[in-house]
Amino acid sequence: MKKTSRKNRKPKIGGQILFPVVSLIYLLLYNSAPEKTLEALNKSLSILTHLLPVFITVIVIMGLITALLQVKKMGGLLGKQSGIKGWSIAIIGGILSHGSALIWYQMLADLRDHKVRDSLIVTFLYTRAIKLPWLPLMISYFGFTFTLLLTVYIIIGAIIQGIIVDKMSSGKHL
Amino acid sequence: MEHQAFIQAFFKSLKGFLFNLPLLVSVILLTGLFEVFITPQMLSSLFSGNAFLDTLTGTIVGGASVGQPFVSYLIGGELLDDGLSFYAVTAFILSWVTLGIVQLPYEYSLFGARFTLTRNLLAFIFALLIAIATVQSLVWFK
Repeated sequence: MKKTSRKNRKPKIGGQILFPVVSLIYLLLYNSAPEKTLEALNKSLSILTHLLPVFITVIVIMGLITALLQVKKMGGLLGKQSGIKGWSIAIIGGILSHGSALIWYQMLADLRDHKVRDSLIVTFLYTRAIKLPWLPLMISYFGFTFTLLLTVYIIIGAIIQGIIVDKMSSGKHL
Repeated sequence: MEHQAFIQAFFKSLKGFLFNLPLLVSVILLTGLFEVFITPQMLSSLFSGNAFLDTLTGTIVGGASVGQPFVSYLIGGELLDDGLSFYAVTAFILSWVTLGIVQLPYEYSLFGARFTLTRNLLAFIFALLIAIATVQSLVWFK
């Protein structure tokens, strides 16, 4: 199993290809529906301006984590030998995390370079499906029992997925 | 020493972020397009009324959709009122937050093909399994 480190993390379909393709889609759509296309562009700009400060914060936090916790410690907390502590951090972290997944991808990719297990990243990403601030709304729409059951099954599902990834990767990166 | 380590790590993360910025902007631009051009009515029209097929459709449609989670609850609530099965609605709201078809290029660029494929495939299968388990358990509790 090959590790995808930052050095060989060069995408095959990178922004150099996708950006011109998306720009072309915008141009084509602008010809047929200019108002809606501009609305989409405005929406995208609003998302981007909302996310950029968060990204900068994430970069600073990653710098701090790396400086304060040495790589060995990070590996101990969330690496091969992390055990129940690692699973607990992944589950609780996923539940408590909020905001766009795009922000978390960057941080998780950095942590992965610091020997954090893929299984814990998968578990973290799946438990993000539990959206604490939106639980009251979910209860009002679908009921308390449904929300409780779904939440419990999401946690169980996240752990099983993590175990599957662990078995598939034999403790290394996929 | 720690100060130096921070500066070093900061620039390393910044470099990685800037490298992926065009891809990130592309994904955000796609998100904007999706949010404006794909309406909840369009999503609702994709369901057929067959519980099994609708559960599969719900998972795919939820995975392809983008937006705040509460939007999926609103659409899910409307779909339930329209007579769609609870299995399909559960799969839909779950895959809305666990699958990200629009974000795939970005995930792939950061984690590689194998990780991205495995994670999304597992998320897809588990959206179906969890939908079935949740609704079945709900029946038992009632």
